[in-house]
Amino acid sequence: MADLTTSLAGITSPNPFWLASAPPTNSGYQVQRAFEAGWGGAVWKTMGDPILNVSSRFASTTFNGQRVAGFNNIELITDRSLEANLREIEETKRKFPDRAIIGSIMVEPQQEKWHEIVKKVEAAGVDGLELNFGCPHGMAERGMGSASGQVPELVEKQTSWVKEAAQTPVIVKLTPNITDITFTAQAAVQGGADAVSMINTINSLAGVDLDTWNTIPNVAGKGAHGGYCGPAVKPIALNMVSESARHPEISVPISGMGGVSSWKEAVEFMLMGASNVQVCTAAMHHGFRIVEDMIDGLNNYLDEKQIYSVNQLIGQSVPKFSDWGELDLNYRVVARINNDACINCNKCHIACEDTSHQCIDMHKDDQGNDILQVREEDCVGCNLCSIVCPVDGAIDMVEAPRQTGDEPMTWNERQSLLSLMPAK
Amino acid sequence: MHEHKEFLEEKEQIDRLINNGFFITDVTENLEGAFVQFSNGADTEQLHIQSASARKYFSFLLKKQKEDTISPFT
Ligand SMILES: Cc1cc2nc3c(=O)[nH]c(=O)nc-3n(C[C@H](O)[C@H](O)[C@H](O)COP(=O)(O)O)c2cc1C
Repeated sequence: MADLTTSLAGITSPNPFWLASAPPTNSGYQVQRAFEAGWGGAVWKTMGDPILNVSSRFASTTFNGQRVAGFNNIELITDRSLEANLREIEETKRKFPDRAIIGSIMVEPQQEKWHEIVKKVEAAGVDGLELNFGCPHGMAERGMGSASGQVPELVEKQTSWVKEAAQTPVIVKLTPNITDITFTAQAAVQGGADAVSMINTINSLAGVDLDTWNTIPNVAGKGAHGGYCGPAVKPIALNMVSESARHPEISVPISGMGGVSSWKEAVEFMLMGASNVQVCTAAMHHGFRIVEDMIDGLNNYLDEKQIYSVNQLIGQSVPKFSDWGELDLNYRVVARINNDACINCNKCHIACEDTSHQCIDMHKDDQGNDILQVREEDCVGCNLCSIVCPVDGAIDMVEAPRQTGDEPMTWNERQSLLSLMPAK
Repeated sequence: MHEHKEFLEEKEQIDRLINNGFFITDVTENLEGAFVQFSNGADTEQLHIQSASARKYFSFLLKKQKEDTISPFT
């Protein structure tokens, strides 16, 4: 069994799976049940001046029968008093001293308000603080959440106010509703953040009811944008984590989240530089015991790879992630159809013919059976045929051997060569 | 599409010049593709290269030219 213990800016937990700040961490009852199930840590539902919520609040995207492919909410931060939350944090920490409890906090951008909440929450015995600069709805209309988190100066300033008062590590949770998250991540670092976490939810409208023409969800016939999360957002979150991990000015650990549904996404996030992961939607969809499979799966994966500590995964794939201009223009993969596995549905042919490079031909074999064949010399290696193919193993993308003239060359190398031409 | 055929045709034109002692002296790229100028010291020729693979191919030749310190990089 591998060692799953992780540390994020000095906050240790027995495994890298934390519950994200959200409904699953709304109360001591819930967090304690989560810890019993095996979660390594929990970021408490964001505390601040208790809010008023509306009903209804959630919606989800069902895609081709896959329920909760994406999840949308218009819920705000906690509607419970700070005192009630802190009492339950204290009790939970007493019962589960080895688990990480992080106090997520959000107040108006005023120094004394930040100082006040930091001191009160730390007095309850939290292991760290997470500043919610990400909530995209409701709170943002009041100048908090993503309204603060979209302005690097405000991120830096508020982080530095928190650091003035904080004794425990400070994690800054960033909004994805910004063109380049590395700007706000750098601002957090400049403000003194000990770690950053990403992503909060993405601005969204889940849908429109085709009969009533109401938005989904609607509150007495009216809707407002919400925040999107769950499996659909994983590629967006993973990119933001990766871009931050490879940025030289973002020198602090990262807690990754957004679409983590199993141990596999956790490994992906950690390989791309996250020190641990947080989970919300998957727990809301499947319950706390989902963590059992996450822990087992991660353990088995590490054992198979003969990796002794989960920390050995952190950042291993970051050097493999670069700019487009650094990719080899002459590297080629081509599609190869395995006619024994192919069911002749022709999806690859249609996809290639209609929307790609017209290089999958329909032929007859010696027995007169229909077969599909790739003209490899015309294949650009786009992968589309293998993506739309419904049968595993029917289309392989294989490396094409290099020929003269195919020596590695990046776009950046090419452009610098061209710029050396004397006429330039 | 038979882009490979287009590439082979353009590659043949490029190779013909290179085999006759020409080297690349200038490249202008614009909306129509690349206009590649060749010279053998005495004569100049220009090819309009359109296919993506041939545009990669002359880049390779350019790199080779530089490595071999052939004009215009000398
Ligand atoms: C209903 C709901 C409420 C949430 N409330 C908070 C919150 O109070 N504070 C916060 O920082 N993030 C909140 N989030 C965002 C999550 O913590 C997390 O960043 C996001 O859901 C992405 O993770 P996931 O894809 O695993 O759900 C909330 C998410 C949901 C779905």
